[in-house]
Amino acid sequence: MKSKKGAAMLGKFLFYFGNTLIGIVFVSPLIWMISASFKPEAKIFANMNSLTTFLPTEPSLNNYIEVFRRINMANVFKNTLLYIALILIFDLIINSICGYALAKFEFRGRKLMLSFIVALMVLPMEAILLPLYIEMSQLGWVNTLQALVIPFIAKCFSIYMFYNFFHDIPDDLLEAAAIDGSSPVRTFFTIVMPISKTVYATVFILDFVAHWNDFMWPFLVMTGEDKRTIQLAVQSFFSTSPVHYSAIMAALVISAIPMIIMFIFMQKYYVEGIASSGIKG
Amino acid sequence: MAKTNKLSARKKDERAAAYIFTIPAIALLVAFLVVPMVYTVYYSVFKYQVMRPNDITFIGLANYQKLFKDPEFWKALRNTFYFTIIVVPVQCVLALALALLVSKRFRGVSIFRTMYFSPQLTSMVVISVLWTVLYNSNPNTGLINSILVSFGLQPINFLTNAKTAMNAIIFMSAWQGAGYQMMIFLAGLQGIPTEQYEASAVDGANKWQQFWNITIPNLKGTIKYVIMITMIQAMKLFTQPYVMTQGGPKNATKTMVYYIYTQGFQKGNFGYACSVAAVFFVIVVAMSLILQKITNAD
Amino acid sequence: MKKVISLLLASAMIVGLTACGGSNSGATSSAPADGQTAAQTTEAADGAVQITIWQPSDKESVENWWVDRLAEWNAEHPDIQVNREAIDRSDSYAYDNKVATAVTSNDLPDILFVDGPQVSYYAANEIIVPISDYFPDLDDFVPSTVAQCTYNDQLYAIAATESSVAFYYNKDMLKECGVDTDDLDSRTIDNPITWSEMTAIAEKCTTADHVGTHIVMDHGEGIPYALEPMYISEGKDYISADGTTAEGYVNSDEAVKTTAFLANFIAKGYANVDPITDEFLNKACATMIGGSWEVATLTANADFDWGVTYYPVADDTKKAVSPCGDWSAAITRDCEHVEEAGQFLQWLMNTENVASYAAAIAKPATRTSAYEDPAMAEYKNFPLSLLVEQLQNTAVPRPRTPSYATFSTDYAEAMTNIFAEAASEGTVDEAYIKELLDGVSEKFTEDYTTYYAE
Repeated sequence: MKSKKGAAMLGKFLFYFGNTLIGIVFVSPLIWMISASFKPEAKIFANMNSLTTFLPTEPSLNNYIEVFRRINMANVFKNTLLYIALILIFDLIINSICGYALAKFEFRGRKLMLSFIVALMVLPMEAILLPLYIEMSQLGWVNTLQALVIPFIAKCFSIYMFYNFFHDIPDDLLEAAAIDGSSPVRTFFTIVMPISKTVYATVFILDFVAHWNDFMWPFLVMTGEDKRTIQLAVQSFFSTSPVHYSAIMAALVISAIPMIIMFIFMQKYYVEGIASSGIKG
Repeated sequence: MAKTNKLSARKKDERAAAYIFTIPAIALLVAFLVVPMVYTVYYSVFKYQVMRPNDITFIGLANYQKLFKDPEFWKALRNTFYFTIIVVPVQCVLALALALLVSKRFRGVSIFRTMYFSPQLTSMVVISVLWTVLYNSNPNTGLINSILVSFGLQPINFLTNAKTAMNAIIFMSAWQGAGYQMMIFLAGLQGIPTEQYEASAVDGANKWQQFWNITIPNLKGTIKYVIMITMIQAMKLFTQPYVMTQGGPKNATKTMVYYIYTQGFQKGNFGYACSVAAVFFVIVVAMSLILQKITNAD
Repeated sequence: MKKVISLLLASAMIVGLTACGGSNSGATSSAPADGQTAAQTTEAADGAVQITIWQPSDKESVENWWVDRLAEWNAEHPDIQVNREAIDRSDSYAYDNKVATAVTSNDLPDILFVDGPQVSYYAANEIIVPISDYFPDLDDFVPSTVAQCTYNDQLYAIAATESSVAFYYNKDMLKECGVDTDDLDSRTIDNPITWSEMTAIAEKCTTADHVGTHIVMDHGEGIPYALEPMYISEGKDYISADGTTAEGYVNSDEAVKTTAFLANFIAKGYANVDPITDEFLNKACATMIGGSWEVATLTANADFDWGVTYYPVADDTKKAVSPCGDWSAAITRDCEHVEEAGQFLQWLMNTENVASYAAAIAKPATRTSAYEDPAMAEYKNFPLSLLVEQLQNTAVPRPRTPSYATFSTDYAEAMTNIFAEAASEGTVDEAYIKELLDGVSEKFTEDYTTYYAE
């Protein structure tokens, strides 16, 4: 009995130890970035041949002071959160209903639509930047919020993700709702959505991160300090030649904080999937 | 009789709902993906220097003729496929392993998930800048090489040798991207009914058997999805070579998207870049359709 | 509760649909307020002319300089209101991309800042217009900047500041390695160090802890910029003087020899093929070919004794040449008020403004008279005086050719490959160098004949 308990303890220890070790490998750049953000410029790329590069030598808040002096953070955060929030609200609704229809409804053109979405998934943004800009210009959207939001609401990746997830929802559940007199639309909003928090959380996290790191598109379509998004603000430190990484690192750390908070917060929805909601496959 | 009526009414309902549900997304995709794509194909038959939009000349298929004789185009295509073929299995297996490590609830699970996901929280540009420094060829200034030397090994010119540059980028990309796919696997793992595990535990199955007999079959859809999106993202490789190697050395890391971008923007050969993009579209669209056929076959 | 949610979702959907459906009408509601950057909306409500400037964003002192100067101008000229947009660029190409994108849809501002060698590219494509009329007397400007901004005998842009490149050395390291630093300190513009002296210093100073020297290795514009004087000193520039061909220039025997000289540093391990940022400052190299901006960085941060001397010259010619070029202001073809924009540029580039701008951005001024301004006092003393001396006597602008963007990209790529090959093989292969430089020349010819040849 005692040895069994000991073994369990050891197993637990090994499990945590292993997780921590792997975790460190993954988190090390973030640590390097954070430690660099407290260093003076001359020390950032010093000692790159030893692990001490991960420690903040001569720490100071100067870099952060410079960032806050040069960037109107409140404004930048407001701009970024506003456009990402708009994208995500529509993204989650429009892409999920589309994915659901493709997964659960029988209708003419379903297969074709699915192929169309899969085919479009592969289009690289970099290859269509210029034509998309020309289109924005023709619509009169250059330098407006529309240009940041509307082209990025529908996402093949998200539709496909929702499609895959909804596909696995047992038909019995939907049948039961239908027999109770619920319309297909109603069934989706009242039954399917509430049990699909995990997939909504996943799409939310992945799309939030993707847009938070957006640089090229906001850079091309938006001009003006009052319209700066977070990545534009961060990149403004690259503009000055010679490039000083100290302030860049501080700006990056600040820009990563909302994402980390969002990520930890959204994870709440990961503990309860279909498994715990009472439906069996 | 009444029942069939009800059923067909439901089918009708469903069909109406289907169009209401799909049209917004499809309309947006057509407007902001298909239209730019059509533009791209349109411009590909013109001589179009990006700085002189008022002076574009129709040249038929000349851009395409040039492209098929362009060794850099073929090299870029080959590099793109090489990257994809190697990075997809590596990254997917890594992602699944990570997901399994943190799929259960335990004290601190959210910290570990955040750690594994953290490379995603910094932009690719910054990750690339950092790894360029880590990969530095001189043991006095590069962490990885200083470790190699301390073990008595020869330093490696990771990014400045044509033989190693792409592999170095592959390794870094798999490390950076795995957290993304881990999240998707996690969502899939949450969907597996716990009863299945409980039942098999009663039957005396060990963890390894459970993994093969329960986890994998239940994750089939997710695995297909993850492979597909990893593959598609791999085909779009751009930022890493752009920041770390500028396509070199000796074109070893020049990818299709990188080539399209440098031709179209940096050098201003917009018409030609459009023809490369058009050919690339055809290749990747065909590929993803074939892939979809294969994954739906079973 | 559920009803509320579904109602909310439904209404959000409708908003979404109308937002996309009514795209055309939606645009008009917000465009006038936001569209001031585009040159089309240059007429303000009160009839004043609106001039918009695009310039890469810069450090705080420069941003503040603009705020103060523009406030002054706008107060004195109620009829010509000037507004500057600081463009955040992630790398040297991002700004060019934004310009190229704006060009496709006539969204350029009235005044555009252009990097020196791009002036000919933009001028040849008629993105920017001649401004000779506003600057009839250019004698006060250093010849290099005037040359760089001139295309087809017309002035297309005007710069307030210049740049230069020189040879920096870590005196502590050099003394340790037995190099006579007093000799280096005592060099004059007529007696700069030669290539073989540079090689000898690099060889002596390559130790287990650091390499001997640092040659620009940024994979981008830095390579053609900082290394061009080597080529000119050996006898052949990258491109013919009329900007029409690279054949027999970038791939000439002289160019191959120059390239081999540079690749030798890498092959022998005297310089790193992928140096880290601030390699010299971090004491990972003993000397470097570095820009004028390094003076400020080193003065502020270096914890060692350092010196700087003139750009090295080829042994056989001893011809002294130095790099130059900086951002310059140009009026775009989308500008509807060229006269007013020209007036503003005249004022912007007066001696007083050039001096205070140069001081704010910590770069050498283009106007000779600006150096009399107290703001520029430190340029009278070493080491900054050395850079000014180079600018006034040996500076040569980069090739003036409409195909510069293509040349720069291809040449930087070829050099990167040559250096990588030298690093992996440990030897310099002249045949390989010739092959790659031939490729650069071919691509130049192709670009030039496709778009610009008559």
